[in-house]
Amino acid sequence: MDPLSLTTDALREPWRLWTCHLAHFSWDHALANALALAVPLVLAPQRQRFRLLGVALIAAPLLSLLLLAGLEHGQYRGASGLACVLWAWVGLRLLSIKNSTPAGLLMLGGLLLKLAAETVFGSCILLRPEGWQALPAAHLWGTFLGLTCALPVRFRTHHA
Amino acid sequence: MRPVSRLSIFAVFLTLMAGLGCNTPQNTTRRSSLMDYLYPKQQGAPVPNPAGARLKLPLKLGIAFVPTGTSSWRVQGLIAPGQEKPLLDVVKQGFKDKPWVADIKLVPSTYLRTGGGFENMDQVARMYGVDIMALVSLDQIQYTDPKWYSFTYISVVGAYVLPGDANDTRTLIDAAVYDVASHTFLLRAPGQSQVKGSSSWAHREVQLREHSQKGLQLAMIDLAKNLDAEVASFKAEVASGERKDVDVVNRQGVSLRQSGGKNFGGSVSWLEALGVLLILGIALRLRRA
Repeated sequence: MDPLSLTTDALREPWRLWTCHLAHFSWDHALANALALAVPLVLAPQRQRFRLLGVALIAAPLLSLLLLAGLEHGQYRGASGLACVLWAWVGLRLLSIKNSTPAGLLMLGGLLLKLAAETVFGSCILLRPEGWQALPAAHLWGTFLGLTCALPVRFRTHHA
Repeated sequence: MRPVSRLSIFAVFLTLMAGLGCNTPQNTTRRSSLMDYLYPKQQGAPVPNPAGARLKLPLKLGIAFVPTGTSSWRVQGLIAPGQEKPLLDVVKQGFKDKPWVADIKLVPSTYLRTGGGFENMDQVARMYGVDIMALVSLDQIQYTDPKWYSFTYISVVGAYVLPGDANDTRTLIDAAVYDVASHTFLLRAPGQSQVKGSSSWAHREVQLREHSQKGLQLAMIDLAKNLDAEVASFKAEVASGERKDVDVVNRQGVSLRQSGGKNFGGSVSWLEALGVLLILGIALRLRRA
């Protein structure tokens, strides 16, 4: 059995709670997820990049624990759940920063569009995974965790 | 000076020959065969069940050492009395926390008849209430080769003091797992070990016995590890439909073959990846503006 992916063995082998987000089924799977991870890293305010890393380290095992319940005898790999955490976190943070609100809205809008598409179509668009299936729950829980970690947000107030 | 008699010369020659003769390369083979147990020569191989195996998770697994030719493997002296259980426990410990295992039963080899075939396996499985049986067969070869200074054994003292024997014990354990209900072969896994050492002529047998037991222990640990990997690849084969003769059904009654193995991935499609890049570009432009 692969020692990095998320399975019920994670309760005895806790490193899986983190490593499953780094393990992937194929190179194109990893590359597409890496692109999604890169966006919040680039757009995050410079001062908050360390905090972003902290969010990733804390949210990763939480997300894994949330996914464990539905896995049964299956396994989970992939960074897109974690990417959703970071997109939601950075998107919400950008809303409170001057000149970055449109970027934040764009990120949250994009994320919302992905979740909506997955809800309607049941899976990612134009993805043909072999031997595994995409897990929309990972993205939904990831977004929820990202938004929760970003709160409370102090929105900019416009003074007359 | 009294001349040496012919008889004395002959006696010394015989002693030398005996001393050297004691220390020629030797090897001992001990073996138990799964094929001899399941398919004894007087029986033809049974026709496989066309319906195949349908395994309902979690499974009750039985493990047993296969008996050998004329008597049980344990009686032949490879496995000392009381050693069988600790050896099987190695596999049991490795699998006790697996979600697909409900219970693991250690079946004493004395319950298996020589050449008992599937009939005997069914009896034992029914007695222990197990769904699948892992039948463990063994193959152990022990080599003893003389070292260059082993000629000192002819001094008698050397035979007790100098380690002139190079001992090498190679063990191969093979576990074959069968579905009891359909007699379908599910998977197999090997475990192997090699133990080397040197001993004096007088201590040779003691060391070979120790190495025999140690070799078995190490091979069982290796087997437990390999069995885990084989189970994973077996599951993948069933999920992908490669094993058409087997299906695995989970607690909710969902077939592993139909669910596609339940390998989940958090994924971003290429269309979404393009969208991601677009958002990144626009966001960077907005920030500069």
